[in-house]
Amino acid sequence: MKGTVGKAFVVAAAILSLAVAASTGFAAETVKVGVLLPLTGSQAKFGEIEKRSFEMAAEEINAKGGVNGKKIELLFEDDTGKPDVGRSGMEKLISREKVPVITGGYSSSVTAAAAPVAQRFQVPFVICTGSADDITEKGYDYIFRINQFASEYPNAVESFLKEVAKDVKTVALLYENSAFGQSSSKSFEEDAKRLGLKIVVKEGYQAGAIDFKPILTKVKAANPDMIYMVSYVMDASLLMRQSKELRINPKMFVGGGAGFTLPEFAKSAGDAANGVFSATLWIETLPFPGAKAYFDKFKKKYGSETEYHGAEAYAAMYVVADALGRAKSITPKDVREALTKTDMKTAFGPVKFISYGKKTQQNKLDTYLVQWQNGELDAVWPKSAATKKYIYPTPPWDKRK
Amino acid sequence: MDVFLQTLVAGVLKGGLYALIGIGMTLIMGVMGIINLAHGQLMMLAMYVTFVLNAMGVDPYFSLFVAMPLLFLLGVAIQKFLLNPLIKADTILPENQVLMTVGIGMALTEIVRFIFSSDYKYITSTYSNQTFFLGNISFSMALTIAFGIAIAFTVAMFFFLIKTDLGRSIRATAQDKDAATLMGVNTGRITVITFGLGSGLVAAAGCLLAPVYYIFPDLGGPFTAKAFIITILGGLGSTVGAIFGGVTLGLAESMGATYFGMEYEDIIGLTIFVLVLLFLPGGFKRLTKI
Repeated sequence: MKGTVGKAFVVAAAILSLAVAASTGFAAETVKVGVLLPLTGSQAKFGEIEKRSFEMAAEEINAKGGVNGKKIELLFEDDTGKPDVGRSGMEKLISREKVPVITGGYSSSVTAAAAPVAQRFQVPFVICTGSADDITEKGYDYIFRINQFASEYPNAVESFLKEVAKDVKTVALLYENSAFGQSSSKSFEEDAKRLGLKIVVKEGYQAGAIDFKPILTKVKAANPDMIYMVSYVMDASLLMRQSKELRINPKMFVGGGAGFTLPEFAKSAGDAANGVFSATLWIETLPFPGAKAYFDKFKKKYGSETEYHGAEAYAAMYVVADALGRAKSITPKDVREALTKTDMKTAFGPVKFISYGKKTQQNKLDTYLVQWQNGELDAVWPKSAATKKYIYPTPPWDKRK
Repeated sequence: MDVFLQTLVAGVLKGGLYALIGIGMTLIMGVMGIINLAHGQLMMLAMYVTFVLNAMGVDPYFSLFVAMPLLFLLGVAIQKFLLNPLIKADTILPENQVLMTVGIGMALTEIVRFIFSSDYKYITSTYSNQTFFLGNISFSMALTIAFGIAIAFTVAMFFFLIKTDLGRSIRATAQDKDAATLMGVNTGRITVITFGLGSGLVAAAGCLLAPVYYIFPDLGGPFTAKAFIITILGGLGSTVGAIFGGVTLGLAESMGATYFGMEYEDIIGLTIFVLVLLFLPGGFKRLTKI
């Protein structure tokens, strides 16, 4: 709602400036960029972080003269976290707003539903968050993805298990029963098989559950060496709090992406968060140009914290602006052409759209292992990016201070 | 055996909370014959009240004494100024009171989003994470207290309806509104009080849930759905039925989660819902006759 007031203000300002422009006989040209994000509904929190990051990046680009002298104008479409709404939002951006390029794409389900629309109308869609594997496996030539995909998330965990946690033999796998959760858990199962780990419990759950004790009881009975969870932030917090309640003591708790790296997770889970490892796609201490600057500026500007989703959005804006700047003309076809030649460094890491494995037009990036230590999140693996030493194995609950 | 007992305990404890969520809806349904589709949203509002009080240093359980009267008043206002006028209005749809509750629910959600944003809020009290053990079975302190309070409220509600004048008037209105009016019951006033009571009860559920769960503007919808299932399971308008309905749903979800898989939690709840509708159309009320 605050956003609406802000929007109203922006519209009023735009009308005013148009009037001024008309009277002086000067029309300011803009380049429209469509952004598909969940701005209401249960994913709105992340949608907002991304929206603010897009806006921040666009402001910076416009302050430096925009794209070849034209200012970037962001048109946000609310997908509400629902695939059908996302699809119609995509159609609206393309046919009514006539945008030359679209970015955003938060949840995997919505992104997977919206991508075929962009492909059909031949308008490039630069995905910054939606991570289900198959989105870039269909050979769509108008779909680009900046972020790592779901099955790449555990790469850092895998190397940690091979080199440090060699005594981990059994695993319990808990995952949210959504497109993202299923995709992540399936790939983790394959990795576990390759690493010779035995999965003793495998349970899906519906996001938003109050009580995880039934599945945690099963986990406790199986007494695994490691618990691997794929959860969003508040489910993650409840899982850890209830693990503490039941005194489940594996050698390590690992959160696979999504919620375990957010500051809210640590705050709401309290001391139950300590020692939890997580695979993450980005943390502000990584050695990328502008990473720390983005993080600090966001915090200063909005008074709230940002995380990898925001960095993805921030980088996406720069990638899109770069392509628009290089495109022969501002048409979907030429912008797509320019995107295929993208090769730049962003706050989220280097971006270059390549084909590898089954993927096409996919950016290739590392993933990292972080750990909560006394309420602070630090990169602990791989060693090249580590800012603190890992604590392994995690001490049992009743031995903690 | 431990796994079974732990599941049983988890299910019953959660069921107590569900009962408290369902009882308000069942009361409103019984008296006015309408489903209050803003029920979960009213609970969400109570959770935000708890959150704000907690930020000022008030214990979540103490905030029961603030949130319940507040929500009672809100319920009274909703019934008096938003729902009752609709009875007089002549429209094509006889269910326009139900539609109104949908609108109220949406308005509440958006007002809360406007004030608090979509961020998740949480209350960390000392007992949020506390547990005690009986043998190998762990009991969450917060859920156990919530269960006790929920049962106390439900029993109090039951005796209130059976023993007091006001309670009898409410039951009379529920049984036959016209006859009650003829017998001198001010049914207009009764509907207002009932909606207030229903809102107050779900506010209690909100206060009890807040320390163990988290708070965001959109959490109303799923809980409205749960309350609806409990109401149908228990039998429309039956308080004892609401306890049975709540505990049945809690147990079914927990047992289902342990022995079938937690991803089927909602499916199991809804399957029982359909089975009850098919084979026991009046809900558990049919079995207890209260």
